[in-house]
Amino acid sequence: MMYFRTIFPACVLMAAFFGTWEGYVAVSGTSPLVLPAPSDVLNGLWVERAAIGRHARATLSVAALGFSLSVMFAFIVSVVLHFSGWLRRGMMPLLVASQTVPIVALAPLMVLWFGFGLLPKVLLVILVTFFPMVVSLMAGYASLPRPYRDQLVSMGATRWAVFRRATLPSARAHFFAGLKISATYAIVATIFAEYAGARHGLGIYILSAKNNFRADLVLSAVLVSAILTLMCLSAIRGIEQATGRRYRRVNDA
Amino acid sequence: MLEVQQLTIQAGNTVLVDNLSLDLAEGRLTCLIGPSGCGKSSVIKWLSGVLAPDLDVQGRACINGAIEPLPHRDIAYQPQQDTLFPWLTITENVSLGLEVRGLGRTAAREKLRGLFAHFGLAGHEGSFPDQLSGGMRQRAAFLRTIVQDARVLLLDEPFSALDAVTRLRMQDWLMARLREQPRAVLMVTHDLYEATQMADRVIVMAGHPGRIIANIPITIPYAERCEATLADIRSTLKSMLIKDTS
Repeated sequence: MMYFRTIFPACVLMAAFFGTWEGYVAVSGTSPLVLPAPSDVLNGLWVERAAIGRHARATLSVAALGFSLSVMFAFIVSVVLHFSGWLRRGMMPLLVASQTVPIVALAPLMVLWFGFGLLPKVLLVILVTFFPMVVSLMAGYASLPRPYRDQLVSMGATRWAVFRRATLPSARAHFFAGLKISATYAIVATIFAEYAGARHGLGIYILSAKNNFRADLVLSAVLVSAILTLMCLSAIRGIEQATGRRYRRVNDA
Repeated sequence: MLEVQQLTIQAGNTVLVDNLSLDLAEGRLTCLIGPSGCGKSSVIKWLSGVLAPDLDVQGRACINGAIEPLPHRDIAYQPQQDTLFPWLTITENVSLGLEVRGLGRTAAREKLRGLFAHFGLAGHEGSFPDQLSGGMRQRAAFLRTIVQDARVLLLDEPFSALDAVTRLRMQDWLMARLREQPRAVLMVTHDLYEATQMADRVIVMAGHPGRIIANIPITIPYAERCEATLADIRSTLKSMLIKDTS
């Protein structure tokens, strides 16, 4: 019942949006080359399901690899920055600057430097998803209430013991918030990288469909990318809930 | 047992605590009272090793005559809040101090066996802090402090977050525990009544800069302490505090 109440407003709004869209296309007589109706998009998805499925799997595998590496690097870097004030002061401006580089300019260069293989795409996913993770983790580490730290220090805890026993657990909520933001970017970044140059993936499929004036297939691929992103978010939310019953108490404390 | 010698704490050019010396004896509870900002908590934080690192500190802490670095394993600290970690069970919280001090998890749990009932926490070993009442949380925090086997306990306003009735019960409860396991206790409090009811000695601090202005022993046996027997001491302390803050 609770789940139904949660998703009901989204279902109503989506139905209203797609209903209006479908009605507008039917009434206005707009060409499907310019604006296909939602029913045309679904039809295209059904007809092309095998090809789109193949490309979606390619996109998902690149996004998963890039995202996993990004989370791992972000965690390691955040720990290093947490323990070294000097490095933190030096690295944070560089990390911020890395986010000002337009991905539209960088993606073709990555393909130029590293070819059409896996590497440029994975690097782009890491570049896009790494920063939100690091910032979230750093904010989480800083959120440890001072009395908790003092309590452990007075017991003779080392800096590492304070980190392991208090700082890290208290950063859990921030970690998952960053994970969700980064996961949202991961699929989009992969598609962008594929768009710049790839053999497989939704990005190259969208480019090919666009060049063939198949707006319905472009939107079919966009729909699949949205579903993939929602699946990633659901998986993360599931992991968060399954592993963290005791940590939900942190926010209530 | 513990001596603080010539402690001066400065923040830039502002002297927070000026040349403060005091000593704590085993089995004796000493209360530190004074107006807000007089440096009571700074003294206790320094002794616990958690004073902000940007403050300038001069002075020595001697344990049994030897100058010792801080924090020290013979000194246990309990801050104003109970600081039970919300993601740990009561057992995990209580054994934390033992584990941090190097005892293995199994040995720490073994040491705690039977103590929960003694501290009124039987049946709550697996509960989380938010499932306990304020008094029970405070008892769990005391158990965590006491089980560390430190000979000096530093209590920074340990009852300030409790309601009046729970506070009175906890005062009696703590005194009973300290009779069973005598320690040298330094307790910071704002409450004149609490200080005179519990302490063997009351040290009065004045502010700006923080310094000791009186050191008053209370020789009335604990069982005989009441409004009538403590009236004179309370009156003296009250006039000192009012004079200092006016």
